[in-house]
Amino acid sequence: MNQRSGIRQLVAAQEKAQAGRLVAASICAMIVSAAAVVLLGISAWFLTSSAIAGLAGSVVAMTFNYMVPSAMIRMLAILRTGGRYGERVIGHDAALHALAKLRPQLFDNITRADPAISLGLSSGETSTRLLQDVDAIQDRFVRLSAPWGAGAALLAGIILCAFASPVTALTVAAIGGVYILVAITLAKFATDKPGRDTRIAAGAFKHELTTLMAAAPELRAYGMTQQARDQILASANLYETAQRRLSIGSGWQSLCQTLAMAIAVVAVFVTAASQPAALIALALLGSIAVLDAAGTLIGTLSHKGSIDAAMERLEPLVAAPKDNTDAPVQPRIDIYGQYVLDTRGRLGIGGPSGSGKTTLVEQLMYLRPVVSGTIRLDGHDLGDVSPQQARALFSYAPQQAQFITGTVAQNLRLAAPKSSDEELWAALEDACLAQRLRLSSQGLDMPLGENARYLSGGERRRLGLARAYLRNAPFLVLDEPTEGLDGATEARIIERLDTRLKRTGQGLILISHRPAPLKLCNEIGIVSGRDALGRVEIHVPAQAENRSQTRVV
Amino acid sequence: MTATDIQSPDPASKEASRAAANWLSAATAPWKKRATLSAALVIADVVPAIGFAAGLGLALGAIVPALADPGAASVLKAVTPGAALAVGSLLLRGVLGQAATLSASHLSQSIKSALRGRLMSGVFSGKLSDSEAMAAAVEGVDALDGFITRFRPIKTAAVVSPLVLIAAAAVVSPFTAGILVFTLLPFVIGMALTGMAAAAESRRQFVAMERLSGLFLDRIRALPAILAFQSETQQSRQIARASDELARRTSKVLKVAFLSSAILEFFSALAVALVAVYCGFNLLRLLPFPAPDVLTLGQAFFLLALAPEVYQPMRRLAAAYHDRQAADSAVPHLQALEQAAPAAVTRSINLHHAPALTFDKVTITYGDAAPVISDFSLTVPTGRTIALIGASGTGKSSLIHLLLGLSPLSGGQILIDGEPLASGEDLSASIAYAGQAPMVIPGTLEDNIRIALPQASTRQIMEAAAKAGLRGDLARNIDERGGGLSGGERRRLGLARAFLKPAPILLLDEPTAHLDAASEQALLAIIKQASEGRTTLIATHSDAVAALADTVVELS
Repeated sequence: MNQRSGIRQLVAAQEKAQAGRLVAASICAMIVSAAAVVLLGISAWFLTSSAIAGLAGSVVAMTFNYMVPSAMIRMLAILRTGGRYGERVIGHDAALHALAKLRPQLFDNITRADPAISLGLSSGETSTRLLQDVDAIQDRFVRLSAPWGAGAALLAGIILCAFASPVTALTVAAIGGVYILVAITLAKFATDKPGRDTRIAAGAFKHELTTLMAAAPELRAYGMTQQARDQILASANLYETAQRRLSIGSGWQSLCQTLAMAIAVVAVFVTAASQPAALIALALLGSIAVLDAAGTLIGTLSHKGSIDAAMERLEPLVAAPKDNTDAPVQPRIDIYGQYVLDTRGRLGIGGPSGSGKTTLVEQLMYLRPVVSGTIRLDGHDLGDVSPQQARALFSYAPQQAQFITGTVAQNLRLAAPKSSDEELWAALEDACLAQRLRLSSQGLDMPLGENARYLSGGERRRLGLARAYLRNAPFLVLDEPTEGLDGATEARIIERLDTRLKRTGQGLILISHRPAPLKLCNEIGIVSGRDALGRVEIHVPAQAENRSQTRVV
Repeated sequence: MTATDIQSPDPASKEASRAAANWLSAATAPWKKRATLSAALVIADVVPAIGFAAGLGLALGAIVPALADPGAASVLKAVTPGAALAVGSLLLRGVLGQAATLSASHLSQSIKSALRGRLMSGVFSGKLSDSEAMAAAVEGVDALDGFITRFRPIKTAAVVSPLVLIAAAAVVSPFTAGILVFTLLPFVIGMALTGMAAAAESRRQFVAMERLSGLFLDRIRALPAILAFQSETQQSRQIARASDELARRTSKVLKVAFLSSAILEFFSALAVALVAVYCGFNLLRLLPFPAPDVLTLGQAFFLLALAPEVYQPMRRLAAAYHDRQAADSAVPHLQALEQAAPAAVTRSINLHHAPALTFDKVTITYGDAAPVISDFSLTVPTGRTIALIGASGTGKSSLIHLLLGLSPLSGGQILIDGEPLASGEDLSASIAYAGQAPMVIPGTLEDNIRIALPQASTRQIMEAAAKAGLRGDLARNIDERGGGLSGGERRRLGLARAFLKPAPILLLDEPTAHLDAASEQALLAIIKQASEGRTTLIATHSDAVAALADTVVELS
């Protein structure tokens, strides 16, 4: 791929934004590693020198300067502890800040995506991506400081060992370098692949679960529940095996590190044998500390496969950015040249179930994939109008309204953020829901639960209606607004809708198979199905043929 | 705001924590022996730890005399035994570490796999929402991984290993062992205090995490409304706020965790320094008090290399503490799924004639939501067809699921030919079913039809396919996502299954939803034929399908 993928661009932008913190974390990492190496080396040197001085008798011992080395040891211990704290806090802060920005950006991208994609997203799966997969990227930020730490450790170790002998220094440098190269190669097999497999297997496992849970009735009727369980457990097993391989892979890396340490111990004894004891001790513990620090770098590599897979899973959520500077279009709808509506128009749509009535109106608002060459808004083909321009024209009460988890007021203000409590009550009144809410002590602050589960089906429908009333858009679009309501309530709602439309001057598009609401309309269209191109076919009802002479309303 | 009904379990409250611990130990009880082995391998690490320290002491202790006496054998020869011991110990340490990893990860897979197997009945009970069931079966079980592989083995090791290492130090220098015991106490107290602070912070972080997760779930679900009302900016601001909140909370948790590990590191450095100072002055023979033991250089190195190892297991325990918290907070979700498992089927009802089906004052309630169906009564007479119509969410599917034992009956009863269906009695053997998205299994079209009656002959399958209007080669392969089948053909597959199974009850759930008018029309005669001689219940939005029924019942 020549072009950088969308998610990588977003992450790179965040890395740039967090550059200050990331540099600070890297500096801390260098301090930690260098201090750890020098600390261990000097401690060993100090102890050996003390012993030699002690053996030489109390006169030598009295003149032995133990103040400077012991002060250095204290300082290095503090530097190591403080530096580690700093590296972790600053590094994670950078990551957390970046992730906090990344999540709303991804959500924005989802809202701007093609509705065929965004409205097809499963909420569970997408939420998992926005939380867990974004979290996995955290490791990517945190590990950015590790190479600097390993580099500083290697440098400090080489300098320390050079005190013993240049050959020792070169040998330790070589062992450190070869260890890192071997570990990086090992990571490809031991952790990259299992890490990637783990994320992919997790996705497959979840997919299997969702599919088979949805098929539960069929499984039950045909006695296949046991088989489905086995199938799910088989894919769970693949997932668990990948997880196990990942942790075993990290284990091999640790083993590789211990092996490198053992080689370093032998190498130091062989190359520095003729040196003073204190310097051998210094080189010995210094080189062990170098490999310890390099191991930290290798540890961060074990997340690579998992991070890459997480980025790939996030990729589909990143849409091509669209500019939002769309000029408003005039409220003039032209459906196949058959129906031309402005805000004085009231179009009633009938037709059998499943014929495409809802599809037609939802295409107007870009809530369904749009078919070009059927509908024009303000003279432009619908396919050339942006979703934002199209949606601005309508206020929609669907058959099954969706609600956010929150209170009545929060849901109503989704449509009109600035409306007053009085306006909310007026809309509820018109939707015949005000009385029901007045009975609740919390009124507008009544919590609705997830997707308004505390309301009955009819109440949800009326709440959706009240919400649509509140938005000051040129057209009101209502899909079966009175379905499931008793005759008296239906009559009241229709009467108030009529009054409301006269007051607000809004146009109306109304889908219903009931005669009463359709009486509000001055034009009727019958949807009869879809043609081969997927276009909804709409025509004038037979008995109204005469009236349809004047199609412009 | 949106967290009003997102109840999160409080992982730190004492009773919850104790209940979670009890559940976890009961759930992992069958693997006790292997868990002990895992812990033993972690504890066994003290052997190479002592070996490495001894090797280092021996080797360095041998250098000074060797250097002091140039006539003696070369330094290399003098240090060989010690160096060999140190190198051997390092290798043993690596091997033991990997053995512990292998054992723990194998154990973890066994436990997770068995637990998922046990939770599966709950997954298919229909009592929990799909997302709840999925969260428990995937993430909930995963949360036990760190608990099994890290926290539990190190928990035992944190008590045993330091004592063994101190005992080893006591052999060489009882006074140094005394120093180590003495510093252990403040170390443990410090660990407990930071642990408590971390628990409080991580509880708040957990709540912030749940809130953000709930917010995402909710807003993606309500996306059509958000788009239609152009509320994207408003929603994305809310998500940014919750996202910032989570970052702040997480940052606090991490700061406490990092601070606590820094404090523990500092404590251990202090303790090591104390040992080093004692050893150093002992070697210099400059102790301001009468020396309790006289150390050689080798012994001093041994003690100094051993000292940090004493604190290592406890530092690892502190680092693994969040694994325990994660497991604790997963337990309530796992319990909910476990309890959702339906009562065992005691009797499978196999009817040979079309029965009269009666719903008698039936109420169906999922969790704490308002009842989907309440006090509903209806009789489907022998061999007749009733269509259930009404808007989505009025409980059409729930009634159909009820007959299959997939929705919770919270009031009333079901009668078969006037006889009440007792709990534990299962009707599904007598039911043929077709829905709007018939399941497709990997295999041929014939295999896919056969699932309705495994013992059916090819001739029977061909007849069923012909009745359902499925044309073409029965031996053609179909992939799992239904590749090779059109929407209409997929419905026909469901109906072919219903034809094949000679069951006296037929349940159809939206058999023509999302089909175009022509395809629906083509299915009507087939549905009619499938319902002949069977007691049939159809849930549908379609007027044309409803017209096939003897009676139409509207739910509201």
